[in-house]
Amino acid sequence: MNDIRFLVRRNIKMFFKDKGLFFTSLITPFILLVLYATFLANVYKSSFTENLPKGFKVAESLINGLVGGQLIGSLLAVSCITVAFCSNMLMVQDKFNGAKADIRISPVKSSHLALGYFLATFACTFIICLFAMGAGLVYISFIGWYITFGDILMLILTLFIMVIFGTSLSSIINFFLSSQGQVSAVGSLVSSVYGFICGAYMPISTFGKGLQKAISFLPGTYGTSLIKQNALRGVFEEMKNTHFPTKEIEMIKDSIDCNLYFFDNKVSFAAMYAIITGFSLALLIIYILMNSLSKKNK
Amino acid sequence: MNAIEIKNLKKYFGEVKAVDDISLKVKQGELFAFLGLNGAGKSTTISIICGTLKKDSGKVFVNGFDIDTDIDKIKKDIGIVFQGSALDKPLSVIENLRSRAALYGIFGKDFENRIQKINEMFELDEVLNRPYGKLSGGQKRRVDFARALIHSPKILILDEPTTGLDPQSRILVWKIVDKLRKEQGLTVFLTTHYMEEAAEADYVVILDSGKTVADGTPNFLKEKYSFDTLKVYNAVDKEVLKQRNLEFKEENGYIKIKAKNIAKAKQILIENADIFDDFEIIKGKMDDVFLNATGKVLQGGEQK
Repeated sequence: MNDIRFLVRRNIKMFFKDKGLFFTSLITPFILLVLYATFLANVYKSSFTENLPKGFKVAESLINGLVGGQLIGSLLAVSCITVAFCSNMLMVQDKFNGAKADIRISPVKSSHLALGYFLATFACTFIICLFAMGAGLVYISFIGWYITFGDILMLILTLFIMVIFGTSLSSIINFFLSSQGQVSAVGSLVSSVYGFICGAYMPISTFGKGLQKAISFLPGTYGTSLIKQNALRGVFEEMKNTHFPTKEIEMIKDSIDCNLYFFDNKVSFAAMYAIITGFSLALLIIYILMNSLSKKNK
Repeated sequence: MNAIEIKNLKKYFGEVKAVDDISLKVKQGELFAFLGLNGAGKSTTISIICGTLKKDSGKVFVNGFDIDTDIDKIKKDIGIVFQGSALDKPLSVIENLRSRAALYGIFGKDFENRIQKINEMFELDEVLNRPYGKLSGGQKRRVDFARALIHSPKILILDEPTTGLDPQSRILVWKIVDKLRKEQGLTVFLTTHYMEEAAEADYVVILDSGKTVADGTPNFLKEKYSFDTLKVYNAVDKEVLKQRNLEFKEENGYIKIKAKNIAKAKQILIENADIFDDFEIIKGKMDDVFLNATGKVLQGGEQK
């Protein structure tokens, strides 16, 4: 098992020392931050206050908490996937720069090599997501803090599952790549598209009905929703405490994807966890099978 | 026991016969040269020996171990220096060596001991903590050798180790190889484009389109596939040469006479001692061997 330990260490060092890999992985979260800083935060804020019942007043910190919660929810949801993809690009880089050939002439088992990439990608992504979460929580603490310790633990658990999902998905896709061009194409595609289809850039509720139905088949959507729900649970709780109409709260939840519907049926909190966890495990099993079958056919 | 023994090895990629029924033996401690153009089958054969590519048929033994059943033991016995850099450019030399050594089960105190010996061997002190990607060509090559030998292999495979290197770095590579052979008795399996490198080998196999077209010691191959040349510098009357039935060619200031071998050259000299005053005998070259064995010319890595 020492070989796995050293492979993981090597892969993590490569990710953090390779400026190309590291900074590429931060592009999507950075775009998201810029979007929020420039206009999204204001759009959400004004859309929320304009739709309040007449004469109803809400504390500024509660509105800020709502917008801030959405920001870190979106930020973390995309980071779990895009950072995993970029970090896992090392697997492909090693193929075309000869490092994999150099490693495979040693008596290291193929399964250990695959596990080395998987664990390192998981570690790098989880570390970056935890840092992003920390930074987001600091930001929220300044603008409107309604998060409990339990919410933070649930956020970490959700991140853990989402990072496994991102790592498994990227491992399967990167398994088939072997050139620099393919790496760039997939990297760009994931960075630009994933933020939209998971509802990070714009809530899914703002999309057309057809697109909403199509997106409801993607498990990542539920992961994004779970992160948002955990980040915003305290805000909604506070709304209830201030006698905010339940109907209005549900409408807000619908508008920012905290409620998701699969063909008009509301998907429960537990069902979302079951979907994302089950899908992550399924992807992991597929990746293991791909590696073992590939070894036999080598 | 042979260091490497290959029997009727075949590897096809669709219609392409990359390796087509090759058989060879590499003796312990030998410098063995595998000569051929790009696509001749050299790298495919190496990949099969190292267990990174599956063969279609045939048998391969390394130090008596069968690659079909004992590949992990074989991998411990082999070190490779690739043509291009295969180490991690962002990592320091010591990080590279540490991560690769761990794959052979060498870490902790064992690694510290091994790196000390490797350091003495290749004088890596000044580059150990520098990123591999920032080293000069010669320094990188030294580190490549250090990586190949980090687990003390018995066989060193050099896959075109000097292609693309400047003359100074090429000299450095050969100094290292000579030192390793003298001090450690390593078996060296060399693939190369360079004729002068193959000429230094104990045994040479020439590959063409996946097949062995010639093999033997450099001297044997020169005897069989090349000619010695007698160069005569004084002004010789060509009519006399014609009368004596000597085949010759006039070049810049001298006359060139081809001789099948050194005995024949000596005979020509003796028989014509009255007209040859200033002369020299040039031994046949590996370039001629390659040309006559394959019908192709190979120079410095390029097919002419």
